[in-house]
Amino acid sequence: MTAPSIEQELPARVSEEVLRLVGAQRFLAHFVVDEAQVLVRMGGELAHYGLTDLATGTSAADQLPFTEGLLPLFETPFLIRSLEMPSGRIADVHFFADGDVVWIILLDMTAEHDEAQLVQQKAYDMTLLSEREARLIEQLEAANTELTRAHRELAESRDALLVTHNRLRQELLEAEKYVRSCLPAPFEKPFVVDWLFVPTTELGGDSFGYHWLDDDHFALYLLDVCGHGVGAALLSVAANQTLRSQALLRTDFHDPEAVLNAMNRVYQMERHNDMYFTIWYGVYHVPTRTMKYASAGHPAPILVCGPREGRGEVQLLNAKGPILGMLPITRYVAQTFVIPHESRLFVFSDGTCEIGRPDGSMLDQNGFEEILSRPVPAGSSELERLLAMVREMHGQETLEDDFSIMKLEF
Amino acid sequence: MLQKKICLLGAFGVGKTSLTQRFVSSIFSDKYLTTVGVKIDKKAVDVGATPVSLVIWDIAGEDEVSAVRTSYLRGAAGYLLVVDVTRAQTLEVARAIQSRVATEIGDIPFVCLLNKIDIEPWDIAEARIEEVRQAGWTVERTSAKTGAGVEEAFAELAKRIVG
Repeated sequence: MTAPSIEQELPARVSEEVLRLVGAQRFLAHFVVDEAQVLVRMGGELAHYGLTDLATGTSAADQLPFTEGLLPLFETPFLIRSLEMPSGRIADVHFFADGDVVWIILLDMTAEHDEAQLVQQKAYDMTLLSEREARLIEQLEAANTELTRAHRELAESRDALLVTHNRLRQELLEAEKYVRSCLPAPFEKPFVVDWLFVPTTELGGDSFGYHWLDDDHFALYLLDVCGHGVGAALLSVAANQTLRSQALLRTDFHDPEAVLNAMNRVYQMERHNDMYFTIWYGVYHVPTRTMKYASAGHPAPILVCGPREGRGEVQLLNAKGPILGMLPITRYVAQTFVIPHESRLFVFSDGTCEIGRPDGSMLDQNGFEEILSRPVPAGSSELERLLAMVREMHGQETLEDDFSIMKLEF
Repeated sequence: MLQKKICLLGAFGVGKTSLTQRFVSSIFSDKYLTTVGVKIDKKAVDVGATPVSLVIWDIAGEDEVSAVRTSYLRGAAGYLLVVDVTRAQTLEVARAIQSRVATEIGDIPFVCLLNKIDIEPWDIAEARIEEVRQAGWTVERTSAKTGAGVEEAFAELAKRIVG
């Protein structure tokens, strides 16, 4: 024997009171729809839900859209939870089949809906945030993997570059060694010839040389090809070799202007990768102490006259002439100068005298002449001392250009 | 006028309510407000020469603890299956819902909406989209924010319903 349900237990008066209480608290409203799905009855708190302009005797689905497709009921009872009504209130909508009609009961659940929405909103916001965080972490991890791969490839490229760099550096050193091997040895008789050659970090375009043309004539020259690098060095060595081996047809190497004219024809820049150079070429006649010389845009050599122990008098061996290789039709004109006893001649490239200081200023021609005219302490190498002073002035060991200088001491 | 019930289904936060508001009222709000229960709207459309009143059920999204109540689809002529392109797992939720609806309600017309196409980056690869197309799904790309593809998506479903 089963226990009676509460509906059976409750006296009719109590049941009615409970119904009244629920109706009051939940704003109970109701509809009755017949088997033709026509709204036949309605009542309760309809205005609370905004359902005021309804009429019986017409289609329920047209007036109550939430019934569309649900009638006749496929299951009873049937519940639509938390349905938003036209007034904005939220109702649980209960469907009950009762013979040929369907009862639809509306109970206000706005408070419960709002509470549930608050909780659900927080939960969804948290979930969406954690999903976004997970995606960001995933993207960061992917980016990190990509960066690691790129870093590894970069390291491999760097290693390969280092190998290439070292090989090229080695080749440059070999080339520099060769350039140096082309330079003649210093000597001391019948006059002193000395030099200093300090190429910049990359191979430069300076070279120089000297040799006896015969017992009385001594040729000397210094040239400076524009720019730096292997190209400039190759042209410099080639031009130097031309002079050293006297490989210019129908040219008298005793005659500086003939030599520069011939060199200018051979070394036109359009045939030499647009490179040109400055050069000073001189021939010293020992018996008469006469220096005959010509210049193609080269800095004038400095002659310092007087004993080493005292301040010397400066004389420039100027000669005008355009840079060699730029103009096909050019005539260089030689000058002569008688070299006094107890004098020192310095032939150099522009990198030797144009020295930048840390403050941005430059050592000028007058400054360079002043340095060379200073007394030379006994026993010291004048050129080494000059290099030390220039480096100190520049503020660092490595100079910006080739440092090339020849000294003839008479 | 012909009246047809359609439903919007999908995971939570994919933009079902925003799509409905964009379609019915031409409005959009950036603020996300979760749906609890059901919201019902109506809008009349023309399918060719046939005017149709769409009764649109915007049903609370599915999450880990509560599944979409397929009984709400009783009497529905079709449904829109909404996916958020910035959350790949919402496509999997859509696949599960579609499978359940097919089993419990039957093969009624539906259109899959890839929503939030205005947001980069996408979390769903083209290959996955192609996969569901190959499975016979009609896929539309939409943005409730810009309105892109929204009218077309509802029109496509209405056309399939009216036939």
